Amino acid sequence: MTDTATGSLPSHDRLFGLRKEHVQRYSTLVVLVAMFLVFSLGVDRFLTGQNLLNIAQQISMLTIVGAGLTFGFAAREMDLSVGYTVGLAGVLVPLLLVKGVPLPLALLAGLGAGLAVGAVNAILVTLVGIPSLIATLAVGSILYGINFLMTGGRAIYGGLDEVYLWLGQGRVAGIPVLAFFMLAAVLVAWFVMERTIFGRYIYAVGGNQKAAELSGIRVRKYRAAALVVCSLFAVMAGTLLAARLGSGQPNAGERYLLDGLATVFIGMTMFRPGTATVPGTFFGALFIGVINNGLNLMGMDTYIQAIVKGVIILAAVAVVSRSTKLNLL
Amino acid sequence: MEIHLADIAMQFPGTRALDGVDVVFRSDEVHGLIGENGAGKSTLVSILGGSLQPSGGSLSIDGRSVRFGSPQDALSQGIAHVSQEGSLVPGLTGAENILLGVEPRRIGGMIRASALKAQAAALLATWFPQVDIDLGCPVAELPMADRKVIEIVRALRGSARIVILDEPTATLPAREKEQLWAIIRTLPARGVGVVLISHFLSEIKALSHRITVLRDGRRICTESADALDEQMLVDMMLRRSGSGPQRKSEEAARASRGEVVLDIRDWRVGRLHVPHFTLHAGEIVGLIGLTGAGHFGFARSLHSPSGVRCAGLAVGGRPVKPGPPAHMQAAGIALVPDHRMEYALIGEWTLRENLAMVHPGHGAIAAGILSPGREEAESRRIMRLLNVKAHSSGQLLRTLSGGNKQKISIGKWLYGAEGRYRVMIFIEPTEGVDIGAKAEIYAEMRRLAATGVGIVIASSDLLEIEALAHRVIPFHHLRPGPEIPGTGFSESAFIAAISGAVPETAKSGIPA
Repeated sequence: MTDTATGSLPSHDRLFGLRKEHVQRYSTLVVLVAMFLVFSLGVDRFLTGQNLLNIAQQISMLTIVGAGLTFGFAAREMDLSVGYTVGLAGVLVPLLLVKGVPLPLALLAGLGAGLAVGAVNAILVTLVGIPSLIATLAVGSILYGINFLMTGGRAIYGGLDEVYLWLGQGRVAGIPVLAFFMLAAVLVAWFVMERTIFGRYIYAVGGNQKAAELSGIRVRKYRAAALVVCSLFAVMAGTLLAARLGSGQPNAGERYLLDGLATVFIGMTMFRPGTATVPGTFFGALFIGVINNGLNLMGMDTYIQAIVKGVIILAAVAVVSRSTKLNLL
Repeated sequence: MEIHLADIAMQFPGTRALDGVDVVFRSDEVHGLIGENGAGKSTLVSILGGSLQPSGGSLSIDGRSVRFGSPQDALSQGIAHVSQEGSLVPGLTGAENILLGVEPRRIGGMIRASALKAQAAALLATWFPQVDIDLGCPVAELPMADRKVIEIVRALRGSARIVILDEPTATLPAREKEQLWAIIRTLPARGVGVVLISHFLSEIKALSHRITVLRDGRRICTESADALDEQMLVDMMLRRSGSGPQRKSEEAARASRGEVVLDIRDWRVGRLHVPHFTLHAGEIVGLIGLTGAGHFGFARSLHSPSGVRCAGLAVGGRPVKPGPPAHMQAAGIALVPDHRMEYALIGEWTLRENLAMVHPGHGAIAAGILSPGREEAESRRIMRLLNVKAHSSGQLLRTLSGGNKQKISIGKWLYGAEGRYRVMIFIEPTEGVDIGAKAEIYAEMRRLAATGVGIVIASSDLLEIEALAHRVIPFHHLRPGPEIPGTGFSESAFIAAISGAVPETAKSGIPA
């Protein structure tokens, strides 16, 4: 009796003559474009090539974290340790470099740390059976402690490899190197999610876990994999973050948790409402980047920015929740 | 008191569950309500109990028009509903359950424990003095029959004049069943009518004063129980045609039995035990049983055998160790489950993505990399094969009708997998499917069998089993009973086999 047949669209599926589905799917993009126009007209120095490149640079790490979280969300797993995982790589890699470890090895160690955090999260969630929301929250707390223990609470700077700093600060043909990393991360994540069996299975597990299991998909494996991908993208972002800052700071990653979740939530209002998609997350990051940048140029207080951001996250989640069931636990 | 349901209609999206049903229930009778699954029994009692509002018709009590917006409304008018699944809180005691929500309280809200016990015991003693239940014991530890009694007492604690009992004995062992019968029999004399839904025709016959038969959402008859025998009831429930069994025996004779594709020895899951089961290529075997008889659980466990212990399992002649669904699929077993939106499909996905869910690797460009073009081509092939009605393969699954959804659920196992599965398990294959699509799904199942797939159908639609199966295994109390060959098919044979041990006691002591 729960099946409904819809041959033609009844009138309540329409809003101002447009299909509600489309209104919902593109409303966030319309708001983004509107915001862009308002800032362009109203704020000096917003619509300049230099500022647009700045935005790209500012959102690159956030986009990379968001791309990872997209895998988690697609499989209905939350990674709340992601901010401290960013921080972990952000102190580990500089620390090793300062100690004279060659750059390639230090970068590998960063990835290894991500793999380890992802594996711990995955084991806690899929084998021990703790909901990811709780498991990753606790792991995040542990990582927070480790980050401060490793550094003694101080920033690590001086003696960092030139090539390493170039990754975060350099430009190629005037375009920040970070933007290329962002682009690569988005393309790879998009391809894996949309064009591989791996991505399809991640979506299947998040779309209907029972149906996925009864279709022969090894559900635990893909839930675990999604969490590992979250951590791997987070350490990449953390490695780049320290290079951009020119120092390893134990608490630099913290804001990537809330902002990263926000990019995914905003993204979930687009394209396939209720589902995390890589393009959605990208535009979600752009959304946050444009707001931050625009409000900054207007000289708005950072605390006001935080309030504005919170309101926007609520609005995005409200849109998603109204249309689909949003169960994350 | 009597309640008159006049010209009741109930329209669900895509289905008309009830159509012009007119029936009177009285507080001095047990009124049996029978019909096949989907005939409208549950919908009708849900309307009577206030949990559904009819889309047409009216209700009146003793000539006074009433409208139930909620179960509370119905209860305040004296109609109580004891649902099939049970609504007791397992961790609370019998007494606490009986007075749930109306506990005697001190000022300040504390429950008066001793008064609670006394009141509950008094209620039980008033209604059923012959019954002895430990009301201080958590209900989870009580026998099923005692739990039903507690539920009934709770329904009676107010001023219920009519109690709806939905399959009250479905989960009871034979002995406890008779205890409950005795209790039900006492109610009409004390001014409480019973509306009884049961699959056991003998139970309906033994307890009811009057019987109403529903079929396809219409009332077929309401008669004094004395005027009806079981054969007549079955005929009315099923609108049988005389040629049914005849045609079946011919078909069964024609069905050539191929090699054994599934062979099972000593298959145990929980309390379910199937000593031996074989399935041949090209054969369709029907599993039938009452709620909780184990036929569904057995069918499901063939594809996801978690918790199974067995002495032997062979698929297509090769021994297989039971493992997770992925493992059983590799061995050649597929499952088209019931509750397709929960167990089989993803509503927010396109048809193409749903079809490719099991074998996305079909037509992959390289290992693990999808080819949208080939995926589209294969999806179209399957959609044509199964005559799926949709705008395109890119349409969202949730927008399809029940029948078309079910075709996608079957198509998943055909997509990129022609000939891969030797055994296909179907559970309630036409649940919520309209007549036209039903015929197409039956045709597809016969086609699959003809290509050498062994098919197991577990269904509560006996007509469906009769139409499709070559032989039938009835389940009763978690054990398979003696097999019914195609030549022996009839609804009465099926019903006799699945009701198993229910004694054919006469309805002694019930005034007509």
